[in-house]
Amino acid sequence: MRKTVLSLLLFTPPAAFAGTSALQASNLLNPNLSVIGWMQGEAGRRSPAAAVPAPSAFSLKEAEIGIQSVVDPYAKADFFVSVDGDGAVDLEEGYLDWFSLPGGLSLKAGKFLADFGKFNRTHTPETAFADRPLVHERFFGEEGLSGTGAALSWLAPTPFVLKLDAQAVNSPASAPAFGAGRKKDLLYIGRASAYHDLSEAVNATLGFSGAYGSAGLDFDPVTGSSASLVGRMAGLDLTMRWKDPHRSIYRSALWQTEVLWGRRGAAGASATGAKGFFTHLEYQFARRWRAGARYDYTELPNDGSVHEAGALGYVTFMPTEFSLISLQGRRERRSNGEKENLAWLKLTFNIGPHGAHPF
Amino acid sequence: MTKKTILSFVLALACLPSPSRAALKVVTTTQDLAALAKEVGGEFVEAEPIAKGYQDPHFVEAKPSYLLKLRRADLFIQVGLELETGWVPSLLSNARNPRILPGNPGFLDASEGCDILEKPKGPVDRSLGDVHPLGNPHYWLDPSNGLVIAQRIAGRLEQLDPGHAEAYKANAARFEAALAAREKAWDEEAKGLKGLKVITYHNSWPNFARRFGLDVVDFVELRPGIPASPAHLRSLTAHIRSQKVPVILIEPYFDDKLPRKVASETGARLVIAPPSVGAEPAIVDYFGLFDRILELLVAAAPAGTQ
Repeated sequence: MRKTVLSLLLFTPPAAFAGTSALQASNLLNPNLSVIGWMQGEAGRRSPAAAVPAPSAFSLKEAEIGIQSVVDPYAKADFFVSVDGDGAVDLEEGYLDWFSLPGGLSLKAGKFLADFGKFNRTHTPETAFADRPLVHERFFGEEGLSGTGAALSWLAPTPFVLKLDAQAVNSPASAPAFGAGRKKDLLYIGRASAYHDLSEAVNATLGFSGAYGSAGLDFDPVTGSSASLVGRMAGLDLTMRWKDPHRSIYRSALWQTEVLWGRRGAAGASATGAKGFFTHLEYQFARRWRAGARYDYTELPNDGSVHEAGALGYVTFMPTEFSLISLQGRRERRSNGEKENLAWLKLTFNIGPHGAHPF
Repeated sequence: MTKKTILSFVLALACLPSPSRAALKVVTTTQDLAALAKEVGGEFVEAEPIAKGYQDPHFVEAKPSYLLKLRRADLFIQVGLELETGWVPSLLSNARNPRILPGNPGFLDASEGCDILEKPKGPVDRSLGDVHPLGNPHYWLDPSNGLVIAQRIAGRLEQLDPGHAEAYKANAARFEAALAAREKAWDEEAKGLKGLKVITYHNSWPNFARRFGLDVVDFVELRPGIPASPAHLRSLTAHIRSQKVPVILIEPYFDDKLPRKVASETGARLVIAPPSVGAEPAIVDYFGLFDRILELLVAAAPAGTQ
């Protein structure tokens, strides 16, 4: 069996992937380079209860550098490095992807955003928002749930699109729903997602996600030993899109909702349950204009008895597909009861052939 | 659900019978390429396009359902010249089908060997709009390029399915003869179009214009992919009046509001012409595409040019 798999791997015909045309082929050995700039202005007073420190009026939130290339006939590699306005550098993602394995499989190794829900896979500058939904911020942190490890993905041979993903990554220290346990503790993530065209113009994606990993250590002062606490999460996501193919560049709509449930182990035998959701509706009302709204509700992962809620609205103008300017406003009620009103001006611009977003 | 049940479900899915392999499965990015693949593939080929003829081929969503088509494809054909650069690479990398990746016999870029116009001579950047650095990708709108594409598809089918090589050769020869006969008829019909000044919405008609003698003098878009500004519309109106441009030619997927306004202000005729097979339900093959475009243009051209 092992021999068969090895032969399949070795004799899969070579595939040059970086370019699909003759001229690009001459640049095959150079990776595709792209940069997304994300600048943001903020007005309003942040509540002291906010987990995020108040930024300056204007900030260069991030320059996201994408370096993408084929590695060999079997794999491609993607790196996304972010540099913020203060010069702090972070490797957001960097992975090798064996995308042409037999049997509808693909395997990824490196650091990547976890396939938990649909929203988590998108880098913040590429989302419609100036922030991330509250529930994602509270459970997964500002940058989303990511980790270093391996991911196996299977496109099932069904008459509809069914994708199964299984991932194991190092326990992430920055996701509040989980926590650093023992050095070798892993976070396991699984997702099943189905996609269906309801008509030529309307389609739906439904996904179920689960995650299981360490939520820190429980130290026993009597014995002097410690045991890993367990964090569990489940998620349900539904995305519906509408776009008339006869008028595809002028009108479109998107509705996305994600619900997350978490259960985090705490010291002693007790555990905390918490949940949250966001729902987002966007309508493209002209070739270069979109408007959208989002409602947020979340309990805190370490205290399910308190919650935060808020709403965000925006209008976005895109001069071309390579830049956008978006005016956004958010009203929130923090866990301590304080109200917080913020307004943003988000500007993003893209140079180079940045890879397509996950659909 | 027990572990055993889950395992049986997964195994059952993995063992689903694969669809019949009787015909070669060809998936193309556009309906024009599918029509040409059907011409030369005949009964031995199932050709299916991703984008329909009424869609703007620059802006197609990479829907996961397209992966189902690509996963089983024996041959993938694209227009190339970066027309599909926004959606094809992500589809191919997620299709889990190494046979159709670039560099393999199952991948065909239809632009190779075709007469490509407007290849930039100097450096290009996006200040020029959605410019295509490899040349204008709307080359299928010249029948001589249609013949090159058909012959290259036939050649690739012979390589992939040598058992039916003779049939593919014969189909290609039959298509060549039919196209030659039809071109004579088109040339006759288009005699009156020689020198006809037109303004097109997007820069998508240079091959067609050269083949049938049209003179494209301006574009509704400010730059490729960039909508017209009020100043540009004013200059367009002046241009039409000063040069007496009788026709504004647009594709059905563009909003006709602005061109209609310019046409009504200047007296030019607005022609909404299909750029691809399938753009109108009655256009079912490559011949029907040119029949329809010429019919519309001849009807719109002023009597003096006919």
